[in-house]
Amino acid sequence: MGNGDHSTTSQTKDRTHSDRQPGRLATVAFIWLLVTVLAEITVAAIEWQPFAASREATISDDAFNLLMVLATPVFTFVIVVGGYALLRDRHRGDDADGPPIRTSRAFIATWLVVTTVLSVVVIITPGFTGLDELRAEPEADLVIDVRAERWSWAYRYADSGVETQGNLMLPINRRVLFRISSTDVIHSFWIPAFRIKKDAVPGQITTTMVTPRKLGSFDNQEEMRVQCAELCGVGHARMFTGVTVVEQDEFDAWLAAAGG
Amino acid sequence: MTIVRGVVAGAVGYVLGAALIMAIRAASGAAAWEVESVTAGAWLFALTGWLLGVGVWRYWARPWFGRPADTYTTTGWRRYFDFDTDHKVIGVQYLITFLTMFFMAGLFAMLMRYELMGVGEDILNSDQYNSIMSLHGTMMVFVAVAATVGAFGNYVLPIMIGADDMAYPKLNALSFWLVPPVLVALTASFLLGGYDTGWTGYAPLSVKNDVGGLFFNLAFFSLGLSSIVGALNIIVTVITMRARGMTWFRLPIFVWSIFVTAILSLIFTQFVGLAMLLVILDRTAGTVFFDPASGGQPLLYQNVFWFYSHPAVYIMILPAFGITLEMVSHFSRKPLFAYRWAVGGLLGIMGMSSVVWAHHMFTSGMAEALRKPFLASTELISIPTGFIFLSALGTLWLGRIRYTVPMLFALGVLFNFLIGGLTGVFLADVPVDIQLQDTYFVVAHFHYVILGGGIFALFGAIYYWFPKMTGRMMNNRLGKVHFWWMMVGFNATFLPMFILGLQGMNRRIADYTPGLESANRAVSMGGFFLGTSFVIFLANFIWSWVKGPPAPDNPWGARTLEWQIPSPPPHENFEIPPIVLADPYGYGEPGSVHADLGGNGRSESLEEGVQA
Repeated sequence: MGNGDHSTTSQTKDRTHSDRQPGRLATVAFIWLLVTVLAEITVAAIEWQPFAASREATISDDAFNLLMVLATPVFTFVIVVGGYALLRDRHRGDDADGPPIRTSRAFIATWLVVTTVLSVVVIITPGFTGLDELRAEPEADLVIDVRAERWSWAYRYADSGVETQGNLMLPINRRVLFRISSTDVIHSFWIPAFRIKKDAVPGQITTTMVTPRKLGSFDNQEEMRVQCAELCGVGHARMFTGVTVVEQDEFDAWLAAAGG
Repeated sequence: MTIVRGVVAGAVGYVLGAALIMAIRAASGAAAWEVESVTAGAWLFALTGWLLGVGVWRYWARPWFGRPADTYTTTGWRRYFDFDTDHKVIGVQYLITFLTMFFMAGLFAMLMRYELMGVGEDILNSDQYNSIMSLHGTMMVFVAVAATVGAFGNYVLPIMIGADDMAYPKLNALSFWLVPPVLVALTASFLLGGYDTGWTGYAPLSVKNDVGGLFFNLAFFSLGLSSIVGALNIIVTVITMRARGMTWFRLPIFVWSIFVTAILSLIFTQFVGLAMLLVILDRTAGTVFFDPASGGQPLLYQNVFWFYSHPAVYIMILPAFGITLEMVSHFSRKPLFAYRWAVGGLLGIMGMSSVVWAHHMFTSGMAEALRKPFLASTELISIPTGFIFLSALGTLWLGRIRYTVPMLFALGVLFNFLIGGLTGVFLADVPVDIQLQDTYFVVAHFHYVILGGGIFALFGAIYYWFPKMTGRMMNNRLGKVHFWWMMVGFNATFLPMFILGLQGMNRRIADYTPGLESANRAVSMGGFFLGTSFVIFLANFIWSWVKGPPAPDNPWGARTLEWQIPSPPPHENFEIPPIVLADPYGYGEPGSVHADLGGNGRSESLEEGVQA
């Protein structure tokens, strides 16, 4: 494929270009390597994610960071190759056309192999591996029923029957299962610091799990909040409550005081 | 006059339809008047009346009843306000209509960015913000879906394939005249208090909201009708109206992109029509498709909606790919590199676009088992998309690149879409998407694709084909100023939005937590800068249309057919049907000729030797 009807014409005219090709390719490859190394160093130096406070956050952030590492050379390749051509191959006054290169078996084959391999790699990791990791610990220590309605969150600790509104209290290092429901329209139960999100759908119980790994609360970290992430009407923006993660004994005391 | 006739007939249609619905309601024991039920039913009658009044009756339907059709006699500028069947008139009608919609939606964006400059409510309360945001999204999606295909698919495509018009000129006019009712419905929605669902209109919120929501459904439904009719016309035109010798692999890549887009549009638009219809029925007819208390299923809406709306993303971006590759070849003065791979990329995207929709629903509560297949299909669609970059880079390489204004926009598309595409790879990854779904990371991503890709290509296409359409040149220097202003403004606005999303700002909110304020202020400043760039464009566009220097037939030295005929083209486009001898990309190939347009005596051997 790719070869037009004219591949043999005009060989003499672009011989000069063909002769220059190896040098150009080496130059571009060198620039690309250099730019990629610099870009990877920069990417690695930047803190992309906000406060991370759960096992799930580590999985999600690792996936993001790995994709950054993989996407950077692709980005720099297009920028360097395209940029090099844009600077070096600009029109210089004469009316001549460029060389009629319609195809290059080597370039297309390489492109196909590299893009296919890259796609399959990101499917496997961080894609499938990340998903498997997320689902690796299905046993819950604590079950909380989350009820969303316009425009508030209500929580019920299933074992003790304690019901609260407002701040969500959680013990550190315990596996929590959220069973999420909605009484009116679709909402979404999102805790940015935990990197978990699941819609609250009327007529349906959805679930998500998390293991908090850090102490903290909304007062110290804005990401420690339950935020509605699905447009639900006029109160949507302010449909959030704080999340507080405490030590187990402190949590037990709080639960007892709350009537558990 | 035409429009007055249409409005009157539309009003008569509304009254007739309303009377019918009210009679049915009264007969079934309900109160006769209920604004939503009556309006939803009457809309179809009003739409029919409008179309009949605006020209369908006089120029088209009268012969069905044994009467002669009226002779179309309108000339001059009045043709743009009439039921004109010339594809070039219709192309201009589409362009101006959707540019108007684009600038209105852009003003809404400016309002949103003003509101979001600081914590708390400033000029809009949450209700107003939701309405403005919803209208901005809806109108911009309509523009992205219909502007390029409607304007240039109509104006340029028939000339590029050597045809004298579209296959069904009357149907073509009908598809355009379905658009003004869309504007009426959107305006009605705005005046009646708007709607709060965004352009996605998720049920059950969209079933429960105020009457403005109904007009959103009617607008989307009507635009869908227009899209389906227009797509059918384009498909038939490309299949049946190609000039002799215009084989499939001699088609300009822009024609391929519009053809593939039309196939997507024809297949999938009905699904969004269905989604809208189900919501309308739930609102007005007592059905319970999305009411779980009665056995309905809210996720049904999302599945049907995204079954259209993901392919719709490709309806928005494939024409941009076609325009970009067209520019890159003509302005690099080189054949389009790996032409057949580029076509294969377009077809590959088309084929895969129907199996990726659930990546919009990873956090929706759909079955967990579906996550892996949709993750995989979404990542794989980057392979055919990559062919577009393969073709563009290969064409630029060793070219004689001319930095014309349309070429700058094409290069802008490549840069912006590169970022839009790569961030799509992140969002397809479920562990990452769980965090970033419904945040500003998504907002930034789709603006890089739709605005940075689709709309940049639309403006490139305007600069490129303006001389052909108007017979006048646009000002080159102002064009370059506009490009760089828009390019810098665009990236200054939307690059920080990725950071906002990562920092935990969710989308569609009028207010946010204090930690996000400084980044939001920066985004707003970028947004205002981007917004003002269009003042330059408008000044250039309007001034050049009226007073620009006359354009030569082929100001760009391009080889496709539309540049081989006068600017603007005569009514029938070509004096005699052209005969195509090779593809239009034979730059640097001695003796290569795209087509023989007759004129100085076409040789008989040519007439005989070319197969149609």
